[in-house]
Amino acid sequence: MWCPDWPIVAAGIRAEVPAMVLHANRVVARSPAAADAGVAVGQRRRTAQQACPDAELLVHDHDRDARAFERVVRAVGRFAPRLEVVEPGWLCLGARGPSRYFGGDDALARQLLDAVTAAGDVAASRAGIGVGIADGRFASAVAAWRGVRSPLVVAPGTSPAFLAPLPVAWLGRVGGVDPELVGLFARLGLARLGELAGLSDGELLARFGPPGRHAHRLARGDDERPPGGAEPPPERCSQQVFDDPVGQLDPLVFTAKHLADQLVAALSAEGRVCTRLVVIAETDHGERSERAWYRAAGMSAPAMVERVRWQLDSWMASGDVSAGVVLVRLVPDEVRGDDGDQLRLWGGPSAADERAARAVARLSGMVGDRAVLVPTWRGGRLPADRYGWVPASTTDLTDADDTAQRLRPRLDGAGAVGPWPGALPAPSPAVVPATGQPAELADADGQPVRVSGRGELSAAPATLTIAERPPQAVTGWAGPWPLDEGWWEPRRHRRLARFQVVTADGAAHLVLVEHGTWWVVASYG
Amino acid sequence: MDLAAAVAPTTLARQRTLPVPDPLIPLLPDGALPRGRAVACGGVASTSLSIALAAGATVAGAWLAVVDVPWLGVEAAGELGVPLERLVRVDPPAERGDAAWADLVAAVLDGFEVVITRVPRRLGAGVARRVQARVQAREAVLITVGDPGPLATDIRMVASTPVWEGVEHGWGHLRGRRVAVTSSGRRIPRPRRVELWLPGPDGAVATVDPVVHPIKQQHAGDPLTSDQQRIAIATAAG
Repeated sequence: MWCPDWPIVAAGIRAEVPAMVLHANRVVARSPAAADAGVAVGQRRRTAQQACPDAELLVHDHDRDARAFERVVRAVGRFAPRLEVVEPGWLCLGARGPSRYFGGDDALARQLLDAVTAAGDVAASRAGIGVGIADGRFASAVAAWRGVRSPLVVAPGTSPAFLAPLPVAWLGRVGGVDPELVGLFARLGLARLGELAGLSDGELLARFGPPGRHAHRLARGDDERPPGGAEPPPERCSQQVFDDPVGQLDPLVFTAKHLADQLVAALSAEGRVCTRLVVIAETDHGERSERAWYRAAGMSAPAMVERVRWQLDSWMASGDVSAGVVLVRLVPDEVRGDDGDQLRLWGGPSAADERAARAVARLSGMVGDRAVLVPTWRGGRLPADRYGWVPASTTDLTDADDTAQRLRPRLDGAGAVGPWPGALPAPSPAVVPATGQPAELADADGQPVRVSGRGELSAAPATLTIAERPPQAVTGWAGPWPLDEGWWEPRRHRRLARFQVVTADGAAHLVLVEHGTWWVVASYG
Repeated sequence: MDLAAAVAPTTLARQRTLPVPDPLIPLLPDGALPRGRAVACGGVASTSLSIALAAGATVAGAWLAVVDVPWLGVEAAGELGVPLERLVRVDPPAERGDAAWADLVAAVLDGFEVVITRVPRRLGAGVARRVQARVQAREAVLITVGDPGPLATDIRMVASTPVWEGVEHGWGHLRGRRVAVTSSGRRIPRPRRVELWLPGPDGAVATVDPVVHPIKQQHAGDPLTSDQQRIAIATAAG
């Protein structure tokens, strides 16, 4: 069962209100009204706002989504006790048992859809809810996504045929495969899942390593294990018993962090990661919350803690809890060898990146877009020209491609590339004010130093006076390095000479003279 | 059983620190920046020094925010080792009061592990304490450029006696600066001093003289303290 626009449902947006939920300047979900206006998931905020200027902007809040999803999970829990939540808005259950009970896969799918629609207040927002039944988690997730209007049931054994004509992009969208790897498949001419599945396992392993083999398995329609499968739990589980019942969420989450750290450390010592985690909490009065969480790529400690927070937050808010919590237990229900396809392998955003992106969004709201800036490469021969600053809200800080393009454009970019002959070599000045300060470079007689058109000096510089400060004796200098830029365009034409000047107080400055006036444009602070 | 004791993570001192580039290791207790503390950088090379201190942590994945230092040279930061994709500059509003600065720094600390900032000239002691508590709670490192005012800084670094190499009278170009950086403070029992290239010929920080001189002369036969031994080993190793 999958609701692609769950964040919109959780925020309680009505169907006719255009709205979108943003994370790191990209749309993660939108309401039907916004979708009609042309807003798509994955769009940049700017583009989406162009399409739909009066849309309400919402910040992505996992906790809100998880709390709202709890109702749905309870409703589905009546069909199948062993279900697992992949993320708020997406859950998996083993259909074999329940479908026999309800009279077939189609009947089960319809029942599920009705129950979810009733429980989730989904009708008001008219968001699509997909129910899909197929072999394995990946195929069923694809089926659910495609079965948004009416449930899609793929007959047992035909999942590979169902997947074969679909584009490989599904691997990234629902399979947790790195988008770069998916892009590489597409560039290699493997456009469809069937083409990928037609290759041999060994070839993919040899060429792309474990992530390639994983992608291949998904494309063939085999999952590593059926959802809710009876995998004997490893001996290792991590738990904390409280002598004094704890009624607040924060200390529990903190404890969970400690438990998750232990668990992940113990598993990684054996070279394994946990893909399915059961979180159990019990109160003093015997109330119990037990839930399984699944993540194909394996869970890091912060990912476990996040899931514990989702579960406990919604459980404690549900009103079923009459006493403090006395037990928190994390059980790694499914583990597999850690073959290195962790998030960071291909340079995906880390927890620190996500945190910084959220802080940047908040800061932009506090002091304005123009006061929260990130550097961007412009190119040039003067320090202030080489890097500029752009509002952080206009860029996607967690997107590696975007960032690389911003800081060092590739050679196919326009204008701002090239080695910039005539730029000064390293080290670069650490103090680069936006505008230069007026200065005076004088010779031993106190006369201003002049530079002729051929780059000859009237006399050796002896003192440097910056703005209103007292003159400093010059102890060393180098230059002039003439610069004649933009001569082909009168408005941009600059003709100047640069000097590096070291003064008696130990400071070094980059000084330039333009039209007979001296400026300090940067200092080596 | 006390809950606080039960849930307290048993982290080692090393896990509560952020790394610094190798040449700066001898200047710091445990050879790294202590999380939850403030470090003051003063003297002639304060901007370069603050960037160099932040470089190790940013290489390791931390994000660096530069608050109210609008003139920061991006290229120099890159040469000192800061990955520019994790650098963000925040300018406080024009009508700046010290409370506005403190609010801004507090918000920045929510998302950034390393923050370089200037302390406003007239900062109230109460506001300073609030910022300090926030730094501690978020386990971030606050690096101040210039006078830290009433902010209690655990480590103070001062760069002095700069000597620029590379330019003569009319020829050459700047190749590097030798400075003596002294660190002192509550966590450093004896001030430590290191001669550094800041910046060196490639723009990065490098050690000029690998021997650490405690400023106070040792008495003959005085056994090395464990700190000094560790530094001696660290410098010998690299």
